[in-house]
Amino acid sequence: MFLEILHWYFKARLEELSKIMDGELNEENKYVDKDDMDLDEKSKNRIGEMDIDEGYCQGKFTENNQLVRNIGKVVLDLRNLGFTSMAEDAYASAIFLLLKAKVHTLAGDDYRNSVLDSIKGWIQVTLVFVNAFFTSLSNITVNLTNHAVPLQFLNALLSYLGESGTFENHSSGLKSPLASYPSSFYPGIDTPFESLIRWKLRLEYFAYETLQDLRIAKLFEIIVDYPESSPAIEDLKQCLEYTGQHSKLVESFISALKYRLLTAGASTNDILHQYVSTIKALRTIDPAGVFLEAVGEPIREYLRGRKDTIKCIVTMLTDGTGGNTNGSGNTGDSLLEELNRDEENQENVGLDDDFNTDDKQAWTDAQCWEPDPVEADPLKGSRNRRKVDILGMIVGIIGSKDQLVNEYRVMLAEKLLNKSDYDIDSEIRTLELLKIHFGESSLQRCEIMINDLIDSKRTNTNVKATISKQSQTGSEMVETGVSLEIIDATIISSNFWPPILDEALIIPEHVDHLLSDYAKRFHEIKTPRKLLWKKNLGTVKLELQFEDRAMQFTVAPVHAAIIMQFQEQTSWTSKNLAAATGMPVDVLNRKINFWISKGIITESLGTNPSDNLFTLVESMVDTSKSGSNSGNSEELLTGDEEGEGSVASVEDQIRKEMTVYEKFIMGMLTNFGSMALDRIHNTLKMFCVADPAYDKSLQQLQSFLSGLVSEEKLELRDGMYFLKK
Amino acid sequence: MATVNGYQGNIPAVTAEAGTGSKKAVPAAKSGDTQSVLKRLQSELMALMMSGDSGISAFPEEDNIFCWKGTITGSKDTVFEGTEYRLSLSFPNDYPFKPPKVKFETGCFHPNVDVYGNICLDILQDKWSSAYDVRTILLSIQSLLGEPNISSPLNTQAAQLWSNQEEYRKMVEKLYKPPNA
Repeated sequence: MFLEILHWYFKARLEELSKIMDGELNEENKYVDKDDMDLDEKSKNRIGEMDIDEGYCQGKFTENNQLVRNIGKVVLDLRNLGFTSMAEDAYASAIFLLLKAKVHTLAGDDYRNSVLDSIKGWIQVTLVFVNAFFTSLSNITVNLTNHAVPLQFLNALLSYLGESGTFENHSSGLKSPLASYPSSFYPGIDTPFESLIRWKLRLEYFAYETLQDLRIAKLFEIIVDYPESSPAIEDLKQCLEYTGQHSKLVESFISALKYRLLTAGASTNDILHQYVSTIKALRTIDPAGVFLEAVGEPIREYLRGRKDTIKCIVTMLTDGTGGNTNGSGNTGDSLLEELNRDEENQENVGLDDDFNTDDKQAWTDAQCWEPDPVEADPLKGSRNRRKVDILGMIVGIIGSKDQLVNEYRVMLAEKLLNKSDYDIDSEIRTLELLKIHFGESSLQRCEIMINDLIDSKRTNTNVKATISKQSQTGSEMVETGVSLEIIDATIISSNFWPPILDEALIIPEHVDHLLSDYAKRFHEIKTPRKLLWKKNLGTVKLELQFEDRAMQFTVAPVHAAIIMQFQEQTSWTSKNLAAATGMPVDVLNRKINFWISKGIITESLGTNPSDNLFTLVESMVDTSKSGSNSGNSEELLTGDEEGEGSVASVEDQIRKEMTVYEKFIMGMLTNFGSMALDRIHNTLKMFCVADPAYDKSLQQLQSFLSGLVSEEKLELRDGMYFLKK
Repeated sequence: MATVNGYQGNIPAVTAEAGTGSKKAVPAAKSGDTQSVLKRLQSELMALMMSGDSGISAFPEEDNIFCWKGTITGSKDTVFEGTEYRLSLSFPNDYPFKPPKVKFETGCFHPNVDVYGNICLDILQDKWSSAYDVRTILLSIQSLLGEPNISSPLNTQAAQLWSNQEEYRKMVEKLYKPPNA
């Protein structure tokens, strides 16, 4: 009971003191008169009078000093009454409460500024004041220049009581890492001063701990706005260095991650972003990477379970400039930036176009690059060495860089095939950067793809040169109105490209003529090589002229082939149109949606429910419907609306690989009767070595086998797989 | 039982023959060649797996690509229809210049197969050519089931019974034990 009263008393006094201080800082002497009055009311135990020589203090501190002295007297009286420890408990807890409140108000939810310095300053200022005050009591002249609350109060107490021993067995239970400082550390300083330092250390520790707890609780948010919130991270780092409570951080952060990030609702892009930010942020706090390892594991584990992880990573790696991918806008920049930043760091210049230096740099880097061990000494690692590690950790999610490179190849193929101007500077740059990290050899195929494009440009020019020669001698090409001039070919070495989907497509005859003519000329230049057209790939720029308007489009050949059929005949049934364009009806129905959505073709039910009628909209009667699309709107090709690409996706390739494995599995089960998962796995590893070699994990195999079981091809009994007969 | 005795009557000659065969096969090839043998066997395996021939199959044993297990099923419209036979194939180090040793693991009542499973088939002996591979061997054995060479039988009883297809079918069914793992 008495303790509570005391506690309350000290708290009230301190708050008062603090208020006065704040007041002084802002508007001086605000509380002048109130001070004495309050003291009279509240401090019933007060006896004695002030005997300090006020001349040492500047006028504006007078009230403080009085207040402090009053408190000191209270403490002294309590001591005299035999309540020493109780009084100490009370004022210690009061000081800590005050400090806590101060830290909370200073730190708050603002992560963009470092608050540690101001907190430290606050304590430091206090110390200076206390020191001055203390010495003033010891009759040593010191100019009082600064002031602050808790230590001022403490110092007053100390000096008033004229002793220091009590503070060492203080009951607050906090342990300052510096508590054992030998007093010889401060030679020539007398004992009260030493205890002052101890108090300072304790206050600091408490302040650090409070701030650390505050920041750890909000670490998730802090990392979300990472680059901006780095001051907060820096603070946290210092706090943790002081308190050593890293495990608290790990536990709290993991649970925050599980609750807030690793849920079905979070997009893979967001998770990856947070992961990258986490890596960067925790690298600052804990350069050894030990805690990062612990925190990163749940994220990696989770990401491995997501199908689109690889795709997202590759998009992030490659899509710094493109920005027209399906990902949300804020993503896609970071990893490419990461790659770029490395480059710039290494060269100390932020150069953008100088590919010669890049090449050279890339080469030297590729030669000396080696993966960072997890326990790598961060002090040795330069900034970019650490960045390399970020990529390493990202790749670590997937398990092998081969998968990543494969996905990149598919994505690159898609991009290159959709180019119409041979402008591949950004792709070259990305590839060069990737080579630094993944090694020259693994990206060899990608390099060939890029070279194909470069060669295509040259070959294309050469082929065109033959045309202009011939046309001077008089050519018959004119009648169709289109000449070879308009064709730009991308010539690929298909062995090195990912499998390319072949779709049946009949293109209009005169275009077909052009293509075969082009191929013929190519053959003449590049004998014995022959050109085989992939007619479903590429882009077509076309202009549609109607009665009342003209529209320009850049579309896939499929779309062009469809719309050109309407040139002679304005209305088609889906079956006839499918036959004319050489594609299945269901594919046609999907593809023609492009033109329907543009308001150029309308669909109406034909006589037969499965045979719809498509009609060309010749004049723009319904302006409201297609108003937004009217005029010369240059429609960008957005791949296909259904998200299907021209290159077989990695999933398709995997499925294809798996059918090979299926045959092997069937083969071995036919001859061995029944086999356990392990044995199938080992056997595949041993004998399925040709292209594509078996490289799946046991888990992947298991899920594949259970797929076969559900297809009723296999049977699983007691852990053994059988052929289903 | 007379039939069983008769069935066993052929053994000595055959085992002797098989013994000499194995001596020929064993001579160690140069280590450089082993690599090419491995390659050849691997590509044969791939070809066999991808060929999708029905009724024949073979696969190397777990740790040794020189020892394969094979499976053939009796062709339709023969007395062996609906039966399945396990075989073992063991490849010499100088394969494909020497034929593999092929034996029935499952008992097979057939004029050209003895009680130990040894097979009398010309392409596995003197008519061997390196152009043959696992697939052609298996296909040959499968067709041998339906078209035995009665003139040089290993199993005389079977050869005698062959003319009576109905009785033969009964015999096959009686002696047939489906292979299991």
